[in-house]
Amino acid sequence: MEQGKATGVMSAAELADVVSQVRAGDAEAWGELYRRYAPAIYRFCRRALPTREDAEDATTEIFMKVRQKLGMYDSSRPFTAWLYKVASNHCWDLLRRRRVRQDLETGDLETLPLEHPEPNQIERLQSEHSDKQVRAGLERLPDRARMALVLRYHAEMSYDEIADTLGVRRAFVGVLLLRARHQLREVLAEGRAHGLRGTSAGGKA
Amino acid sequence: MNHFDEMIALHYLEGELDSERAEEISSHARQCAGCRGLMRALERESVWLRESLQAAEEPIPTCLQTPPERGSLPWGWITALGLAAGGAYTLWSGFIEPWRTQAAQAGFTQESLLTMLFFTGAFWKGWIAMRNFMEFSALATMGIAVMWMLRRHSRRISTIAIVMGALSVTLTLPPSSRAETHHGNPNYVLPTGQEVKGDLIVTADDTRIDGDIDGDLIVFSKYVTVNGQVKGDVISFVRDLQINGAVDGNVRAFCQAVSLHAAVGKNVTAWTERLELDPKVRIGGSVIAGAKMVQLNGNVGGDVLAFAKEVEINGSLVRDLTVRARLLRIGAGAEVQGRTKYNGEHSADVSPTAKLSSPIEFTIHKRRPDHTNPRYYWHQTLLWGASFIFGLVLLLVAPGFLLDAANACKKYGRAAGFGALVLITVPIAALLVCLTIVGIGVGVAALLLYVIAVYSAQIFVGMWTGEKILGAGVGFGPALGRLALGLAIIRVIELVPFLGNVVAAIVVVWGLGALALTLYKNLRPAAVAA
Repeated sequence: MEQGKATGVMSAAELADVVSQVRAGDAEAWGELYRRYAPAIYRFCRRALPTREDAEDATTEIFMKVRQKLGMYDSSRPFTAWLYKVASNHCWDLLRRRRVRQDLETGDLETLPLEHPEPNQIERLQSEHSDKQVRAGLERLPDRARMALVLRYHAEMSYDEIADTLGVRRAFVGVLLLRARHQLREVLAEGRAHGLRGTSAGGKA
Repeated sequence: MNHFDEMIALHYLEGELDSERAEEISSHARQCAGCRGLMRALERESVWLRESLQAAEEPIPTCLQTPPERGSLPWGWITALGLAAGGAYTLWSGFIEPWRTQAAQAGFTQESLLTMLFFTGAFWKGWIAMRNFMEFSALATMGIAVMWMLRRHSRRISTIAIVMGALSVTLTLPPSSRAETHHGNPNYVLPTGQEVKGDLIVTADDTRIDGDIDGDLIVFSKYVTVNGQVKGDVISFVRDLQINGAVDGNVRAFCQAVSLHAAVGKNVTAWTERLELDPKVRIGGSVIAGAKMVQLNGNVGGDVLAFAKEVEINGSLVRDLTVRARLLRIGAGAEVQGRTKYNGEHSADVSPTAKLSSPIEFTIHKRRPDHTNPRYYWHQTLLWGASFIFGLVLLLVAPGFLLDAANACKKYGRAAGFGALVLITVPIAALLVCLTIVGIGVGVAALLLYVIAVYSAQIFVGMWTGEKILGAGVGFGPALGRLALGLAIIRVIELVPFLGNVVAAIVVVWGLGALALTLYKNLRPAAVAA
């Protein structure tokens, strides 16, 4: 995974040093770690969860979990990967708990036919919508579709990691992503994103 | 090779195909313009999605600028609790105490805050204290809003602050009144032959109404004698009330002694030490009495419901008689045409010549719950069942909301602070609404919602408790199980003497706060979008 772009630059040695200091109970090191990664985790939560307040609460809770579980972190693995794993598990758990009757959503994805896309239409959507509009459109997607896109294209998770987080078969992840792309295209094409936050910036066109 | 579909193209782009299959796809794409176009479009879409989702445009909110500290106490909710405590103190010192003093001065010693508010707000001097209280509430709300705005650096509270501030200001507006009022002089007399058009509101030491009143008589006095006719209701907060003239409407009395010597067209409600009905009096409607001694010698057209130490019936009752008293005496001249239900400590003393349409349905009253009686536990089980069914309905109708509210219970302090604030301010605001702007309908509806909210508090805390014990579950069944367990634990703890009451109070405050936080959270997006 490559979250360096989202989290700012911190060398592996520097990071390992900070993590070991936090483990030793150094409050300053904890502050440093938090300042480095909180913006990225907040943005991740902002994409994954429906409201800003949810994202704020989740960010706080994730970092409290991180502090508790830092002793369990295997330093041979990339820290950002572990951090995103904690964050994605937390967010998905939150969404699943809210959707009590979640079984209604499963199953339909594999059976519903997908309309064959027109390449021109896909490219037109890209040229007509700003980043903010895409994110606003993302908010309109069902939880799992939104989560799949965020895990793949924001957190850069592998199919295995996505399958593990969402609790689905690995072979199903591709279907999930493709379906989510279709749903996002539909939302953007129907202009349902209009009127949502950030749309006042206007499209690129 | 045949054309490939979008799924294959995506798998190819995502590196999910084995090398042999990937090579096939690659060579086909080189030859087929259509498939190549699809592949390119999907590839660009992937880049587009990455750029859009990874764009770091939004700044991190102020509240997330500093790392969370485990176990540290957030200052925001501590202040909210402090403000709530201040509000409670202000409520007591600036509102309840002056009322009690005023009531005592008028010779009225019974304590019924709700009824006092309900009936005296229109002329009551405690308005000033009330305004101070509302000002404090408004200030408290604004204080919390400012702190949260600083803490959260967002607009979400501002909307609520404006709404609550406006509500507070509106509530403090004095009510318009078309009634004729009399204040100040120690004695008030409405002479014979004079008629007051509309309502008459009197505050005096001694009040005598010899003339007629076209509307209601609202009186706050030591002694009141009504000799004239009142075409509306008589609402009184007095020491002694004596009615010798006909009242076409209702009599609502909050007095030490009430004696009725003339007909009342509608109902009589009396919270008093002594209620006496003259033998020649006829009450058109029902009688509801909470008193030390109730003596009904006249004729009552409707039901009689009496909570008293002693009840004596010598008159004629057309419908049912329901009594909860230490002693019920049914005299020689009594006649009850409906059923007679009596809950008391001793069996009723019935004269052999009294006419009862059916035998008395007598149940022995017990003051305290009998922990040795299985029925007590059956009753508790029923109460648990009722709350569980309520929770079940919530889970079916609004599962997200219920789980969010249970989740909000995790914010112990904030929930408790807001719960205390809501618990205190909402009923007062609703009662004021009854008296001022919109009217009784809205106020009563608000009170009803308030009662439902207070009842539902246990559901949220129960759900949270269940999840705390069993861990967060996913799906309808696990949620239901956790709810059942949590509610059962609360119910069992509430059975413990004293501790149970404390826990019940904590549950109400805590759950109500969680409800308020969740409501606010759910309403916020619409408010912010505006």
